[in-house]
Amino acid sequence: MPFPKRQAAIVGVYTTKQGKLPERTSFSLQLEAIKGALDDAGLTTADIDGLLPMSGAAHVPGTTAHQFWAEQLGERPLSLVEIGGASGQLAKAAASIAAGLTDVAVLFFGRAGARTGPGGTKAADKAPRIPDDWSFATAGGYMTAWYAMWAQRYMHEFNVTNADLAEVAVFTRYHATLNPDSVMGSRGEITVDDVLASRYVCEPLHLLDCSIDNDGGYAVVIASADRARDCRKKPVWILGGAEAYYTDFYATINDPWFPNQGKAVRKATDRAFGLAGISRDDIDVAGLYDCFTVTTIRDLEEMGFCKLGEGADYVKEGHLRLGGSMPANTDGGLLSNSHCGDPSGMHTIEVVRQLRGECGQRQVPDAKLGVSLQQGWAVHGLASTLVMAVD
Amino acid sequence: MTILDQAPAPYLKPLPEVRPENKPFFDALRAHQLVIPRCDNCGDYNWVPYPACRSCLSENQTWTPVSGEATVYTYTVCHRGPGAFNADVPYVIALGELVEQPRPCLILGNLVGAAPGNVRVGMPVQIAYQDIPGEDITMWRWVAR
Repeated sequence: MPFPKRQAAIVGVYTTKQGKLPERTSFSLQLEAIKGALDDAGLTTADIDGLLPMSGAAHVPGTTAHQFWAEQLGERPLSLVEIGGASGQLAKAAASIAAGLTDVAVLFFGRAGARTGPGGTKAADKAPRIPDDWSFATAGGYMTAWYAMWAQRYMHEFNVTNADLAEVAVFTRYHATLNPDSVMGSRGEITVDDVLASRYVCEPLHLLDCSIDNDGGYAVVIASADRARDCRKKPVWILGGAEAYYTDFYATINDPWFPNQGKAVRKATDRAFGLAGISRDDIDVAGLYDCFTVTTIRDLEEMGFCKLGEGADYVKEGHLRLGGSMPANTDGGLLSNSHCGDPSGMHTIEVVRQLRGECGQRQVPDAKLGVSLQQGWAVHGLASTLVMAVD
Repeated sequence: MTILDQAPAPYLKPLPEVRPENKPFFDALRAHQLVIPRCDNCGDYNWVPYPACRSCLSENQTWTPVSGEATVYTYTVCHRGPGAFNADVPYVIALGELVEQPRPCLILGNLVGAAPGNVRVGMPVQIAYQDIPGEDITMWRWVAR
């Protein structure tokens, strides 16, 4: 059976204010995002019958997120549609909707008062014993350190330089300056030299090679075709999507790290485009997971927009910059718009806004087809890709 | 074999929880030996350990001593660290690829005793052992060889 193309659509999206939000809680950001995305769709909480919670959304000990929210949103039984990484969750939700398991579902996330990076962490009074026997945690590792090791090996194998990586930070900051809601846009554009002059966090990654680390929330409402046609905004149809997983837990990655045939991102993306029945050349706008500059370069190679080892050149040729052949991360991405803890859905939201034509001075003209890539865990260890279109 | 000086006290960094499944590994470290699971059926080494061999799915694996010799597959020099690690910056985390094959085993650990600026991909390293003050555990580190 083929993937049910155009039988489900994204009908509502919402992002809370992103940034340092000391007066907010994770719960209140999630609730605001759910209400906001429903309002964007012209729907109310009474219309929800499925939940796609992201991590950290249960607020009562002992419950899981979907049970908590089914009670909170009106004491009604709701379906857990799927867990996963946003792009893949929405693909699976589209299939569930087409199969009649649910009609309207909401994906949401929100975080306040926590940080992904090591900033502000205090030493314990006694050495804590942790269950991850061989992970990076006992060696002082954290996300940046892991991606830095990935970058180091990648740069070694393919003669990529720090200046090459910096180009990603430069174009995404430019995009952020055109997005009044972005965290970093008001600080203005940056140059390659600015990136190289910023302090190292974990060599070879400088501070400006890293995503920001802020509070924020977001939500996405997905609905059946019948419901979508009655919603307030133009439906953004799901054409195809898929997910793929392999290792693991920040302890190791099997060698080789950069096989020609790709890994999880390649598998998810090949399947997503295959189901959608379009080619990569057809894409007008992209949202590519960019927790670090190196991530974007590898996304391009793994997704098949360029060949292995050519990601940096592809960026330098300007394809991803507004005005290029496939503008990407037009909101400023995780590097300069927002990284709110689990920002997996943020790229999908920006692509939806582009396809609706809502992006003002950063609008990609006549954008009809878009793709979003989410990835995470031990670099590209879990990945999902979503292909979207407007009529 | 390199046995490092005991780590400075107090040691406040996270340490692994020793459980029945990983106890042979940590018992061997206490005795200053590196052991990793080797499949009794196909002979492949498996790192990180899984309950069954990832080559042939045999559940029969034996914790087997290995040379501890490796080359640096990749590394990073950390200039910010979580918790107690922040006092150690800059410190090096390296993935060493063991000389034992055919399944490549990349083991993560701190590389110590070398100037961070001298660490390179491909650098020969070996496992070293460091006792932890006040704790019944010995940790593994990488040192240049």
